[in-house]
Amino acid sequence: MKLQALTDTTGIATPYDTLWATAAVPTKPPQGIERVMLAEDKLYVVLAVVLIIWFGLILFIFRTDRKLNRLERTLQERLPEANTELSS
Amino acid sequence: MKAWLRGFWAVFEKDIKLELRARYAINMLLLFALGALVVMAFAVGPTPLSARVQAALLWTVLLFAAAVGLGRAFISEEERGTMLLLQLNLRPGAVYAGKLLVNFVLLLALNLVAVGAFAVLLRVQVAWPGLLALTLVLGSIGLAGATTLLSALIARAAGGRGALLSVLLFPVLVPLLLSAVEATRSALLVAEGWAAATDELLTLVGFGGAVITAAVLLFDYIWLD
Amino acid sequence: MAESASIVNLRRYRLIRNAVFVWLTLVVLGAFLLRIPRIHILEHTARNLYFHVPMWFTLMAAALVSAYHSLRYLQSGDPIRDLRAREAARVGIVFGLLGLATGIVWARFTWYLGTSLWWNFDPKQSFVVIQLLIYGAYFVLRSAVEDPEKRGRVAAVYNLFAFVTMPFLLYVLPRQMESLHPGAEGNPAFSDITHPIMRLVFYPAVLGFIGLFWVLYTQRVRLALLERRLEMRKATMLEAKS
Repeated sequence: MKLQALTDTTGIATPYDTLWATAAVPTKPPQGIERVMLAEDKLYVVLAVVLIIWFGLILFIFRTDRKLNRLERTLQERLPEANTELSS
Repeated sequence: MKAWLRGFWAVFEKDIKLELRARYAINMLLLFALGALVVMAFAVGPTPLSARVQAALLWTVLLFAAAVGLGRAFISEEERGTMLLLQLNLRPGAVYAGKLLVNFVLLLALNLVAVGAFAVLLRVQVAWPGLLALTLVLGSIGLAGATTLLSALIARAAGGRGALLSVLLFPVLVPLLLSAVEATRSALLVAEGWAAATDELLTLVGFGGAVITAAVLLFDYIWLD
Repeated sequence: MAESASIVNLRRYRLIRNAVFVWLTLVVLGAFLLRIPRIHILEHTARNLYFHVPMWFTLMAAALVSAYHSLRYLQSGDPIRDLRAREAARVGIVFGLLGLATGIVWARFTWYLGTSLWWNFDPKQSFVVIQLLIYGAYFVLRSAVEDPEKRGRVAAVYNLFAFVTMPFLLYVLPRQMESLHPGAEGNPAFSDITHPIMRLVFYPAVLGFIGLFWVLYTQRVRLALLERRLEMRKATMLEAKS
C-alpha cells in the first residue's frame, strides 16, 4: 500500500514524525480509558467525536430555546398592558 | 495633502511636547517593562535559558508593556476635552498617523531600555545586533499600528476600560509575536543570523503594512460620529 | 409579521432546514456504513474526517459571513447587518469549540497513546484557539458599549481588523509548529490518503454542516430580530406615555 511506503525511518520519535510510522504503536498494553477507546479498531474514538458534536449542537439549541422562552414571557407581560394603555 | 501633513505633524508635535513635559506615558512604559523584566529574571534565577525562551520572555514583556502603556493616547484627549477639536479640525487619517508615530517613538524608547536591561539581567549574548535591531523596529511598527487603532476604539466606545485593550490586542497580535520571537531567536544564535530570519522579517513587514492599511481605512468609522 | 418575511424568507428557510436534516442523516449513515480502506494507526478513526474536519470549514464560513456583514454594516449602518454579524460569530464559536474538542479527543487516542498528552501544538488547533479568543474579545467589547449604534460600529471595526490578521496567522503558525494534518510538510497530501469513497462522504459532510450552520444562524437572526422589534415597541410606548 502507498501509505506503508511513508514509514518514518529516521528513528526520531516525536509524536509528529510518527504520524504514519509503525513506531507509534505502544509497547505497553493500553490502560484505563485508552483500553475503552481503542477497542473495536478505535471505533469508540469516532463515537466520542460524534457524541461531542451532537451534545454541543443540542446544548446550543437549548440555549436558543431558553432565549425564545424569555422573549415569549416578556411579550406576554408587555402586550396586554400595551393594549389597555392604547385603548384608554 | 499639505493640510494632511500639517495636521499629522501638529498632532505628533503636540503629543511629544506634552509627553516631554509630563513624562507620564514613557515613565510608565519603562518602569512597567523594567519591573516585569526584574520579576522575571528573579523568578528564573541564574539558570541559563535557551534562546527561544529568552526571545519569548522579551516579547511577552514588550507586548504587555504596550498593552498597559500605550492605551492612553486617545483617553488623554477625552480627559482634556480636546477630542472635539481634533474631530472638527483634522482629517481622521492625520490624527491616526500622528498618534501612530507618537506610539512608535515611545515603543522605540521602550525597546532601547528594555533590551539593555534584558541583555544584562538574563545574561543574553546577541550574536547579530543588526538583526535584533531590525526585528525590534519592524515589530514595533505592527505593535504601534494595532495598539493605536484599538486604543482609539476603546477610548471612543468604552470609556477606556483598562484590561479591555489587552483582551482585544493579544489575539490579533499572535502572528506578530510568533514571527518576532523567531527572528529574535535567530539574532541571538551565532549559527542562525540573517538568512534564517528572512521569512520572519518579511512577515513582520507584511503584517505591519496590512495592520496599518486596515487601521487607516477603519479609523474613519470610529473617529467620526 | 410581514416585516419578518421580508428579511428572512421563511419558505426558503424551511426548505433548506428540511434538506439539511435529510442530507446530514445520509452523511452519518454513509460515514458509518461505507467500508473504508484500513489505514495504519488511524484504523476506524479515519471516519472522524467526516465529522471533525467539517467543523473547521464551518468556522471559516462563519468567520466569512460575520466579516461580510460587519463590512456591510459600516457601509450602510443598517442595524440588521450588525445582528447578522453578531449571530454568525456566535454560531461560529459553537462550531469552533466543537472542532477543538473533537480534534483534542481524536489526537489523544490516536497519536498520543500512552503519553497522556491532551494538548497538541498543531497549527490548525492553535488557529482555532486564537479565533475563539478573537470572538470572545468581540463579545466582551460588545457588552462594554451601551449605545447600540456605537456598539455596532466598534464591534464591526474590531471584527474586520481581526479578519485582516487571519491570513498572517494561517501563514505563520505552520512555520512554527508541526502538524498532524495532511498537506503539511512531511505529511502526505489530502488526496493521497483519502480513498474516493471517503471523499464521497467528506464533501457532502462539509456541505451539510455548513448548511446546518446556516439553519442555526438563521434561527438566531430571526430571534434577534424579534427581540429588537420588542425593544423598539417598548421605546415607542414609553414615548407615547410621557
